[in-house]
Order: sequence, then structure tokens, then C-alpha cells
Amino acid sequence: MSRIHPITGEHREPFILAEGVNKHFGKAHVLRDVTTRFYAGEVAVIVGASGSGKSTFLRTLNRLEKHDSGRIVVDGIELNDDVKRLDAIRREVGMVFQQFNLFPHLTALDNVSLAPRKVRGAPAAQARQAALELLERVGLQEHAHKHPHQLSGGQQQRVAIARSLAMQPKMMLFDEPTSALDPEMIKEVLDVMKDLAASGMTMVIVTHEMSFAREVGDRILFFDEGRLEQEATPEAFFDAQQNNRIRAFLGHIAH
Amino acid sequence: MTSGLLLLWPSGWSRERKSSATMAAAGVALVLFLWGLGRLLIGAPEPIGPVAQQFAQGTRVTVELTVVSGLLGVAIGVLTAVARMSRFPPLRWVASLYVWVFRGTPLLVQILFVYFALPGAISLSDFSSAAVALALNVGAYNAEAIRAGIQAIPKGQTEAARSLGLRPAQTFIHVIFPQGIKIALPPLVNNIVALLKDSSLAYSIGVVELANIGNRVNAATFQPIPVFLTTASIYLVLTTVMTQISGAIEHRLDIEGRI
Repeated sequence: MSRIHPITGEHREPFILAEGVNKHFGKAHVLRDVTTRFYAGEVAVIVGASGSGKSTFLRTLNRLEKHDSGRIVVDGIELNDDVKRLDAIRREVGMVFQQFNLFPHLTALDNVSLAPRKVRGAPAAQARQAALELLERVGLQEHAHKHPHQLSGGQQQRVAIARSLAMQPKMMLFDEPTSALDPEMIKEVLDVMKDLAASGMTMVIVTHEMSFAREVGDRILFFDEGRLEQEATPEAFFDAQQNNRIRAFLGHIAH
Repeated sequence: MTSGLLLLWPSGWSRERKSSATMAAAGVALVLFLWGLGRLLIGAPEPIGPVAQQFAQGTRVTVELTVVSGLLGVAIGVLTAVARMSRFPPLRWVASLYVWVFRGTPLLVQILFVYFALPGAISLSDFSSAAVALALNVGAYNAEAIRAGIQAIPKGQTEAARSLGLRPAQTFIHVIFPQGIKIALPPLVNNIVALLKDSSLAYSIGVVELANIGNRVNAATFQPIPVFLTTASIYLVLTTVMTQISGAIEHRLDIEGRI
């Protein structure tokens, strides 16, 4: 059962398995029995209204939030309080935040090369070279020596993506990566993410950008009041939606 | 508020260069002052001229006391701040107890206690006793300043570092501490300036530092106005040099160009 892809029906081991995941914040029940799988090479897009639990679910996948019950298995390792195993998982799973969370005291270059040097023990010259190549990939090689406050929001988010990529993750999580950006900067970040998807990166993306979700997503997950309400292909989700609540949600977002 | 020595340098110089130049200039000024003070005062009229070398020696002792207890106090402050935020409760309790006691009792009593009340096996010289008491006292205040700085760093910084695979200690050393210490710097400087002045309390256990010299010269000459004006002026020069150095450090850490 667990090896069958929910949409394609393929038999594959999932990269992440979430089973019956529940989470409370005080009395609020923010995740209710969420069960799903994410597969290598897949781009999964999570959508839903604010407060539906979609960001919280994403954050449980690298244990920035602890789940109360259920099981989350990443690359064969179950998430629990074992810190060593958690560090091992976090090296394999990159994360990009809504507020970028760049290190303000470091240059763009040092933001990108810090983790490879300190976690992977890469020699400084090699980490620097790799960081410059990544900054070039996101179109920011001329800004390598600037500090975050000297960069626009869109540039900061691209540095943040490069910083995550520097650890050569097997998978990338994106938590509303364009929600804090001015409209004219959203495209430059989405373009970098499209390139990344085209390169075969496994991605789980929480976003409100529906046209991006339709274009890049292999699968859309819809969250509502803490439940995973629907999983569907972009075509089925956007063009042949049967669920009235979701139709109403899409109507609100699109127009 | 770029001020003082920082304004001397060409505007084209980088932040690091201006900062280093300022620290070097302030350092040189301090050394010249300590070295030249005796020669300077010897030309002064009675009652200062004849005791110029005593004033110079007392000033050196004050500076030594401040530097030793200041460095120790910053180290104690960092360790205590970390301990107060530890996940291990007994460590938090010990650190809180220490801060509570040393902020809640007079510095003079602490100096007297270290000098007179410690058991014979660890009895210290007057200078060492004063240095230890001053370090412990300023350390308690430093701990609170550093803790406040560290706790002002947004949670997203820790999340970003941990999600990159940095361990908790690496996250603290490379991400949280460098940002927190910058926020803590102005109150830390306040503490160290206060320390320089508070070092005068060491006179109570017989350390021959600047205030003690002033007191002795006054007792011998009965001319309090020139004696204590001289004493106060020397303190003022020292605190001014210190704020120049700290201004340079702040300027260097201020990569966002706010000051």
C-alpha cells in the first residue's frame, strides 16, 4: 500500500512518508491525521487558506515543529528526539523561509559557504568556489560580497535558495517563499525555483501562487482546517475541481 | 553617532579600516598617556609636581585593574549568559544565584569579603582580591546585557541555521552570538566604564591605585582642590579613551550602517 503512488499508481519507495500526523498548538488542533508521501524527483505543491496548517505541516517534515502523534519517515529515518539523526536529516533536506532568514552579519558569499565549511568540513577555498558558482546559478555573482541589507527582497530569497543548495540536499522545502516579496520580485524567485524543478530537484512548496503551482507542480495538496483535504494532479485540481469548498477557494485566489 | 576619532579618517576609508585606525590611535594615546603622565605632571605646581610619579604609578595600577577585571568580567558574562539559557536546569539555577547575589550586594562589601573573608588557603594579594571582586561584579551585569542581546535575535535565525544542519553549538557560535554581542555592546561598554570608576573602591583594601594616591596626597598636603581635580581629570581621560575604543568596535560591527 505504502509503495503505491497516490496519483500515478507507481510502485516506489517514498522519500518522505507521513502517517496519521497530528499537531496541537495549545487547544488548537492544527494538523489532523495527515497522511501522504513525497517521492524523489517530484514537485509537490501545498495550497490552502491561511491557518489551514500547510506551513505547520511543512515544518514538521524537518522537525522545526514536533508532531504530537503519527509517524514521519524521511529517507528511511523516523523523526524523533534523536538529535544526531535529526542533524543527518537536516543536512539532506534544505529549507527556504518566507522571511528569508539570511544571516545579516555575513556577506551573501559567507551565508552560502558557512554550512558547507562548518557541517561538511569543506576547505575554505573550495567552499568559496562552490558558493560563487551557486550565486551565479541564481544570477547574483556580482553581489557575492554584499550583506543582506544591501540586497532587495528577491535577491535575498535567491541567496537563501543558494545557501540551501550549498548543502547539496536531496530535497528542498519552500515555506511561502514569495509571500514577503513585492510583486515585481516574485517572478525572479519563481524563475529560480522553476529551473530547480527542471533540474530534477525533489521539492515540497507551500505557496499562494496558483499559476506557478499549476505550471511546476506534479501534484497539488489542498489543506483545510488541519486536514489534507485533497491530493490531485494540477489538471484535475484546477480544471476539473468537484469539491465546492476548493472551487470557492480557487475563485477567491484567482480573481 | 559616529564621533570622536572616527571622524579623523578620510571618508573613503572602509569601515574596518577606520575602526582599526581608531583602535590603534586610542591604544597609542593610552600608552603615551601612561608613559608620559609622570613627565607631564612633574612640571605642575605644588602640590602635584613633587608627587607626579605617584600619580603616574597609581594610574597604571587603575588601568591594570580595569583591564584584568574587565577581560575576566566579559568572559564570566558570556559563560553566565550561556548558562542562564541552558537546557540543563541546575546550570540555570547556579547562574541565576550568582547574578542575584552579585547585583544585589554592594561592590565594596564584595571587595572586603574577597580580601578578608576567604579562607587562608586561597588568600589573595590586595590587587588580586580587588581584581577578582571587580570581575565577579561586572560579570554579573555583563551576563544580563549579553543575555538580552542574544534573546533579541529572531527565532528564524536559529531555524535557518539548524535546517542547514548546523549543530546547536555551531548555531550559537557562528550565527547567534555574533549578532547578539553587537546588540549587547553599548550596555557592555557602560559596564566597563563603570568598572574603571568602581576600581577606585580597591583603595579600601589598600591597593595603591589612583584614588588612593589622591587620598594620600590630600592627607599630606591638605590641598583637596588641585589634588582631586587632578585625580578626576585622569579618570576622565581614561574613560574618554575607552569610549573611543568602544565606538570603534561598534562602528566595525555595524555592518548595516545605522550609526
